[in-house]
Amino acid sequence: MHKTNTEHLIDVFLGLITAGTFFVLYMPIVVNSIFSLVPSDRNGIHWGEASFEWYWRLLENESVIAAIKTTLIVSVIAVAIAAILAIILAIYVEWEGAVFQRTIELVVYTPFLMPPIITGLSLLMFFDRIGISRGEATIIVGHTALVLAVLYRLVLTRLRAMPHTLVEASADLGATRLQTFRYVVWPQLRPAVITGAVLAMAVSFDETLITVFLAGDTTTIPLRLWGMMRVGFKPEINALVTIVLLVSIIMAVITAIRIKPAEGNEE
Amino acid sequence: MNNQSTRFTIFVCIIAVPVVLVIIPIANFFLMSFWKMESNQIVESASFGNYLYFFSSPAYWGTFLSTLYLCLKVSAIGVLVGYPVAYFVWKRKGRVKYLLILLLILPLFMSYIVKIYTMRTILDLSGILNKLLVAFHILEEPSRQFIYNQTAILITMAVIFLPFVILPIFLSLERIPKNLVTASSDLGAGTLTTLRYVILPLSLPGTVSGALFTFVLALGDFVTPQMVGGPNGFTFGRVIWSQFGLAYNWPLGAALAVILFATALMTIIAAGWASQQRKV
Repeated sequence: MHKTNTEHLIDVFLGLITAGTFFVLYMPIVVNSIFSLVPSDRNGIHWGEASFEWYWRLLENESVIAAIKTTLIVSVIAVAIAAILAIILAIYVEWEGAVFQRTIELVVYTPFLMPPIITGLSLLMFFDRIGISRGEATIIVGHTALVLAVLYRLVLTRLRAMPHTLVEASADLGATRLQTFRYVVWPQLRPAVITGAVLAMAVSFDETLITVFLAGDTTTIPLRLWGMMRVGFKPEINALVTIVLLVSIIMAVITAIRIKPAEGNEE
Repeated sequence: MNNQSTRFTIFVCIIAVPVVLVIIPIANFFLMSFWKMESNQIVESASFGNYLYFFSSPAYWGTFLSTLYLCLKVSAIGVLVGYPVAYFVWKRKGRVKYLLILLLILPLFMSYIVKIYTMRTILDLSGILNKLLVAFHILEEPSRQFIYNQTAILITMAVIFLPFVILPIFLSLERIPKNLVTASSDLGAGTLTTLRYVILPLSLPGTVSGALFTFVLALGDFVTPQMVGGPNGFTFGRVIWSQFGLAYNWPLGAALAVILFATALMTIIAAGWASQQRKV
């Protein structure tokens, strides 16, 4: 099939817009990584003095280490709770003939669909009213509400693809409900739960808009970064930023690799 | 315990967590929006005072309207740039196509706060944008017009929310059966005719819902205005946020949040409706 000249021109034009988009989306990241390694000042960039110095300095920064710890604790606990809830909800909605199924789903998706500021301030006022002071626990609750939607969606999709006859066969053979879940349902759900957990952790690591309402004096990595950025531009920020970016890219790639074959099967 | 009450108990237990996490907090802040502040204390007296205050002070509803306009521009830029990009990627084949779309949505996973920060370093007086514009003689000297104002908020939001528009457009293009496109070209239609009469109408619902979701994201944002907007860069989200910080007026903040909630809800319903209009 031969393309006409106009079609070629259109292709080139669209290609240029796409290239421009890539430039705009990725330039910040590249620039940032460079400045975390190479010192620069008013006189220009000192290419010869590139070093990992700022990365080592981060390790000595106690507030940064504390923020990393909090972020990890919050995301692991929130994702674990949300995963268990998602499995229970999905099985209930899909197999037990739930009443108000649409309503349950709407409630689960609300924190994901609404602007995060709504989830953040509504939980803040709720905790304040019932007298719970802000800290790690309140952040965990906020993150659980947010990532539940992600996990629920993935688990439900997997559950729908799985034939219900498997469960019936297991029951016919005398297995208890718990045994059926342990030996029949769980092996089928596991890949979806792991993918969902990685995705949910990536969301949790990065969550800022809800966390800022619920953190109190506790800090997470995004909040710590935000604080550092208010003070000024330092190579130390760039170093932390580069690490954060690397971690998020790795998690995104893991998710992408895991989701791709699943999509292929569904088609 | 009979079977029905067991079922009911299970239902209550399962629904309890989402209700406590979502419904009660939302109901609580709706309620609080009718209360008021008196000498730094929250007073539980039901009135429409906060809402009347919002509608009677131009500073508040003016900010609300200008934020709506700003979010509309963010969505419009998203579609104007995102559609050609999604279309170009959709036209690629096999692995290249998959890799390109993956790279375009990868920035969604990157730290939100970091993206805003890097945009600030780029738009700043000594940033790369100014350096480039001066180097190409478009500007005589570095300009402050790209940072700490509404323009800075617009540019930053447009860049960081762009992948949110590209992805739904790409997915709606993917859903178009290839034989419709082939049929169109078999009947003698050129690329542009096919685009105009086949591809655009079929991908319109996905495009509209993508744009509306971006609108909601921009509407609730308060970190971007705070970081690149400077003292004058107020948006509705930032105004709400300030009620929970220095301004310390939770009931007013709650009332403003109810207005935001209603706006976002209407937008989401419109987006849901748009995506159901798809014809393939």
